[in-house]
Amino acid sequence: MNDDTQPQLKGKGKTKTIKVDYLARVEGEGAMYLKIDDGTLTDVQLKIFEPPRFFEGLLRGRKYSEAADITARICGICPVAYQMSAVHAMENAFGITVDDDLRALRRLLYCGEWISSHTLHIYMLHAPDFMGYESAVHMAKDYPKIVEQGLQLKKMGGTIMSLLGGREVHPINVRVGGFYRSPSHSELLAIVPELEQARQIALETVRWVKNFDFPDFEQDYTFVALQHPQEYPMNEGRIMSNKGLNISAADFDQHFEEIHVQHSNALHCVMKGSEQSYHVGPLARYALNFQQLPAEVQHEAKQAGLGEVCRNPFQSIIVRSIEVLYACDEALRVIRTYQKPDKPCIPIEPKAATGFAVTEAPRGMLYHRYELDTSGDILDCDIIPPTSQNQKMIEDDLWKFVPQHLSLPDEKLQWHAEQAIRNYDPCISCATHFLKLEVDRS
Amino acid sequence: MKVDALLSRTLSCTLSRTLIIGIGNRYRGDDALGCLLADKIKQALSNEQLMNKRTNKLTNTIDIIEHDGEPAALIDCWQGYDTAILIDAVSSGTTAGTIHHIDLQTQALPDQFRSYSTHAFGIAEAVELARVLDKLPPKILFYGIEGESFAADTKLSDTLKKAATLLLQQILHTINSEKEIEKEKRHA
Repeated sequence: MNDDTQPQLKGKGKTKTIKVDYLARVEGEGAMYLKIDDGTLTDVQLKIFEPPRFFEGLLRGRKYSEAADITARICGICPVAYQMSAVHAMENAFGITVDDDLRALRRLLYCGEWISSHTLHIYMLHAPDFMGYESAVHMAKDYPKIVEQGLQLKKMGGTIMSLLGGREVHPINVRVGGFYRSPSHSELLAIVPELEQARQIALETVRWVKNFDFPDFEQDYTFVALQHPQEYPMNEGRIMSNKGLNISAADFDQHFEEIHVQHSNALHCVMKGSEQSYHVGPLARYALNFQQLPAEVQHEAKQAGLGEVCRNPFQSIIVRSIEVLYACDEALRVIRTYQKPDKPCIPIEPKAATGFAVTEAPRGMLYHRYELDTSGDILDCDIIPPTSQNQKMIEDDLWKFVPQHLSLPDEKLQWHAEQAIRNYDPCISCATHFLKLEVDRS
Repeated sequence: MKVDALLSRTLSCTLSRTLIIGIGNRYRGDDALGCLLADKIKQALSNEQLMNKRTNKLTNTIDIIEHDGEPAALIDCWQGYDTAILIDAVSSGTTAGTIHHIDLQTQALPDQFRSYSTHAFGIAEAVELARVLDKLPPKILFYGIEGESFAADTKLSDTLKKAATLLLQQILHTINSEKEIEKEKRHA
């Protein structure tokens, strides 16, 4: 692959267009447009044509208690993230904090979503790029046992989500203040043998993906993620960057802003003032929280060839596999130390206030803000999903990556460009609350 | 014969283990089709004539579930069944109300069916992955109706309502045929 990365600009005097009407193996519907004039890349557009879904408007006038279930409907892949950001924002508004046991259960539920979502992307969507297959189905013909392992690992995440959330997709057991029902310790202990098997598959996944052939493409990213003094971040922490940012969720809109671009139905979230892109997701979390990973997981990351910071987005598949391994370990830890709370939730007293929260969805930071009246009805809200935050980052990556591959035939160029997009596991359905590839060569 | 009566008679006599999977989203207009047809069949299962008087348990061997179409879970849920029947709304570009019937043991879901999921890995991929991994049940049938509107709504379009009644009868006819084949096998 390294031979392919030498810039060789050809075809002077011609315009060339490569189109992909529907980008494969991304969540939702969007397109990609690349324009190349006289061998120079002149335009990059990540087009999101899935229509806007107006969830923020739909939430106005609804009860504080409804936000978790309504926003869970934004995405079938990461509903827990929406529920977690919603309940944390409401609790922030009401000035309450849940007990440690309830907090642990929320963390366990998030582990389930990380395992399920990351494993879907690693095995079904991203690995075929590196293995040279059109799809997971094609890959399964030659590597059936590997794909079966992926299905088994994904199922583990679904089992955790069903156990705590009532069901795997759009869980219904989460509420402001805790849960509607908390499981018994024996219910949780019953999944330990399956979880231990999943942990072994997660370990084998790290050792499998580390051997893929990764393009040499390191970038000086502005990584932004939650950071927590005691744990690898899921539900809580301060918003930090590797360039000195250190803020609370309440200050999010002072440092980030959403802007409209003509080619996308999803707003681009950028750094306020500079309108620069920034990178959220597994690479950012890993770079800012490596020290919070258990020693054994750190060891596996190093054995997989990662440093304490990974700046190559193509290696995000390794970082995701490390996060799946961590999520299995963390789920086992929570289950083994679990004590059923006296009550599944703490009392809520609504008041007029504004609440903010950021939690770590599998694809990166998910920001929620709710303005509430005295009875807890939602007056206004703002939801910024990770794919909105990564949209400009993806375009920036393509601006730098594609010129290195202009000598390639269009079909191969398209393959590499799509792979560069899938590095981010973009969720278009979330962002419109987004892929076709079109390369235009002159 | 009324559909409910036909349904009851059919289900009470079916012999092989069958899983009926209603796939869809109740809040996206015609996408609710699979869920609503699953409801119809479930109602019949709760009829008194289908209950074993001594054990007070269902006498039939049919399970009916609603499913969101998540592929890994879908492959998992039909393991151990002799027959799986998938019911879902379709957006393939044909006329709204068109009924599609595909024997998935011998045929893949057409490419134009693959865009009806907003997710990157959908039902068509689940079926093909299961085929490669030898995880398809011995019989697996797909019934779909071309949807008219998938906008946010809790009701089916009038076009789909009419087609749904016809589809229900087709599914019952299929189950009846399966029942006859099973009986013949037992008597042979």
